[in-house]
Amino acid sequence: MGEVILTMKDIDKSFPGVHALDHVQFELRKGEVHALMGENGAGKSTLMKVLTGIYTKDSGTITYEGREVEFHNAKEAQDAGVVIVHQELNMLNHLTVAQNIFIGREPKKGFGIDDKKMREDSAALFKRLNIDIDPAATMGDLTVGKQQMCEIAKAISHDAKVIVFDEPSAALTEAEIEELFKIIRDLRRQQIGIIYISHRMDEIKVITDRVTVMRDGSYVGTLITEECTKNDIVNMMVGRVIYEDPKTASLVPKDAPVVLKVENLNAGRMVQNVSFELHKGEILGFSGLMGAGRTETARAIFGADKKESGDIYVNGEKVTINSPQDAVKHGIGYLSEDRKRYGIVVQKSISENTTLACLEEYMNGLFIDKKREDETAQKFVDSLATKTPGVDQLVVNLSGGNQQKVVIAKWLCKNSDILIFDEPTRGIDVGAKNEIYKLMNQLAAEGKSIIMISSEMTEILRMSDRIIVMCEGKITGEIAIEDATQENIMNLATRDIG
Amino acid sequence: MDKIKNNSLVKKIGLNRVLLVCVVIVMYIAFAILSPSFLSYKRILDTLNYMYFLGFLALGVTFVIATGGIDFSIGPVMFCCALVSGYSLTNYGVPMPLALIMSILVGGAFGVFNGYMVAYWSVPPFIISMASMNIAKGVASVFTKTQSVSWPRSDAANGWYRNLVKVGNFPVGLVIFLAVAVVCAIILNKTKIGRYILCLGSNREAVRLSGVNIKKWEMLSYIICGLLVGVAAIFYVACYTTVQPGYGDQYNNEAIAGCVMGGTSMAGGLASISGTVIGVLIIALLQQGILALGLNKNYQLIITGIIVIVAVYFDVLGRRRKN
Repeated sequence: MGEVILTMKDIDKSFPGVHALDHVQFELRKGEVHALMGENGAGKSTLMKVLTGIYTKDSGTITYEGREVEFHNAKEAQDAGVVIVHQELNMLNHLTVAQNIFIGREPKKGFGIDDKKMREDSAALFKRLNIDIDPAATMGDLTVGKQQMCEIAKAISHDAKVIVFDEPSAALTEAEIEELFKIIRDLRRQQIGIIYISHRMDEIKVITDRVTVMRDGSYVGTLITEECTKNDIVNMMVGRVIYEDPKTASLVPKDAPVVLKVENLNAGRMVQNVSFELHKGEILGFSGLMGAGRTETARAIFGADKKESGDIYVNGEKVTINSPQDAVKHGIGYLSEDRKRYGIVVQKSISENTTLACLEEYMNGLFIDKKREDETAQKFVDSLATKTPGVDQLVVNLSGGNQQKVVIAKWLCKNSDILIFDEPTRGIDVGAKNEIYKLMNQLAAEGKSIIMISSEMTEILRMSDRIIVMCEGKITGEIAIEDATQENIMNLATRDIG
Repeated sequence: MDKIKNNSLVKKIGLNRVLLVCVVIVMYIAFAILSPSFLSYKRILDTLNYMYFLGFLALGVTFVIATGGIDFSIGPVMFCCALVSGYSLTNYGVPMPLALIMSILVGGAFGVFNGYMVAYWSVPPFIISMASMNIAKGVASVFTKTQSVSWPRSDAANGWYRNLVKVGNFPVGLVIFLAVAVVCAIILNKTKIGRYILCLGSNREAVRLSGVNIKKWEMLSYIICGLLVGVAAIFYVACYTTVQPGYGDQYNNEAIAGCVMGGTSMAGGLASISGTVIGVLIIALLQQGILALGLNKNYQLIITGIIVIVAVYFDVLGRRRKN
């Protein structure tokens, strides 16, 4: 670690009704990877937005390279060498990699754009980062992981001295995360200061030098990563010890009936001859790398996408599912990996979202029985411990974890017996994550059957009664929880690759 | 400003609508000062006449915009309804009650067509409404052999339909219009149709993945719009008697302007019937004001255009701030 490059002191920021940052401090050294942690709503993103000029601070000072600075917009920060790699990728899929990296500052050649120079510069950049990507490739053809690498390359091409990574690993596979870490270590060697925001405790231990923890808009403390345990950090974040115990044995009785049977399901390249059974009260983990075809399988079963062939049996009876409508009718519920796009109607209230799948049951003749609807929504808010001032609250105002609970409430309200949880805790903070885990275990104990798709190995090992591993559109193996290890899952997940 | 915003009554009605009512009052006072004739009862009735047909168009298109769609065919379709049914009435001897029903059905037919194309064939609403705008004009011209059609005057044998607008000096039309608006508000806010329309306007994929037949509900919004366009046609001829094929485009913008001004979001998911009602009242006042001041009618086109832009700008601004 080198000298201090960035100091944020007494940063204060209020929004109407919310004290988002309460005299927060933060320090970053050259060649340091400094984790910024905290539950959702702790103020991490706000702090980073203040740093990069997206928000204006109410008070406090930012010292960068020995001078007090105040950036007025992201461009100013970028020009000074402070860049942010956003959680969501901001790439234009139909352009080439090089065009994306140099967007807005394309090298000129006469009246046109110098595409050749752009490609060469990109290639040089990739070489410096040891990334193997063809600058002339179309962005949309790359995997999410590669796209992320491009985003990083773009950030670095601004001659960055401070790089903020906002949950860079959220969409990456374990292998891609390894590659990301390699790049981060390289950057560290080049004396670049790195701020790393993540919810994944394991990564923090592996990659960071120091950890600063925030809670409810306040600074809690800074620890040296080597000298602290996971529990120290978690305790600082939530003020209580958490984490559901991992499962060591299946909780499903041997003679539990099969509630869902899928036979030779085919849907494009991503779903090839998929067959499996789901038992009553089981949590069936679907593991695999990003792009292994797990979401596609789930969507095909649910009727969200077209399937080419294959049979689906619910409770032993063969059923036809051509649309989500059919699936819902047969008691299947699907919680998408992308809540905002596919799960909730953000501009509507908790009540309206809760009854979305079963509005018929809340009709009083021609009219919606608002009172009964609100009562039901309130019942689920209570039983799922959703944090909200009331059921009339618009879902957009809830945190990620609470939004997820609203989606769960929707399917419980419909009384679906088969629930497909696709990345149920993506982008959800540790405390809420644990609540979701508890909830899933409770649902399984009540006899609901759950398919859980997850890219987090720890989540798979903690929650599943049985694990199915997919790779490139095929099921490559099934492991009982008693025998499951990270290694044998990873072996199956990468079977067809390289 | 914050004080006004936090007032409980204002909160209940909505700041937007309170401001709109203020706009109505200010406009009325301004026009009354500039042109004293504006205070006359006749002028009020004229304003209402303009508001009726425009109001029904705007109520209809509110449902479509709520789904995130748009319908640029409402004006020409309204003329098509009035021409087809009016021509049948005058040239084929179709009885009046049937002609009125026919007008509504023609509108409904266009609604079915637009809705089916948008919901089941995934044709962008903008494109399909442009196409049906031309189809409506074409059908009307072919059906009437490019002649204008005059509906019966109030003293004619079949003139009783004009009682829908006015009996003596009493504006029956206002009562009917407000009653229909209340029904629309109930449909939008209290029934399954309205709930699904608003939800799918907000996030159609989420609604589809909840097992809702979104195609059906989306199509239904266009049908509701079409039927109301048919009603608008009746009120148009009951006020203005004569319709000519090939016109009606102007009313698209005015009705849509009334909608978005009233707080219905062009992005879908948010709609206000009461806002639409006040919105079209403002448009009607504007039209009458421009007439009363003796200004060129074309100023109205310019001003309506500006209103649409400003209203949409504030809608976009509001949503950006929320994010």
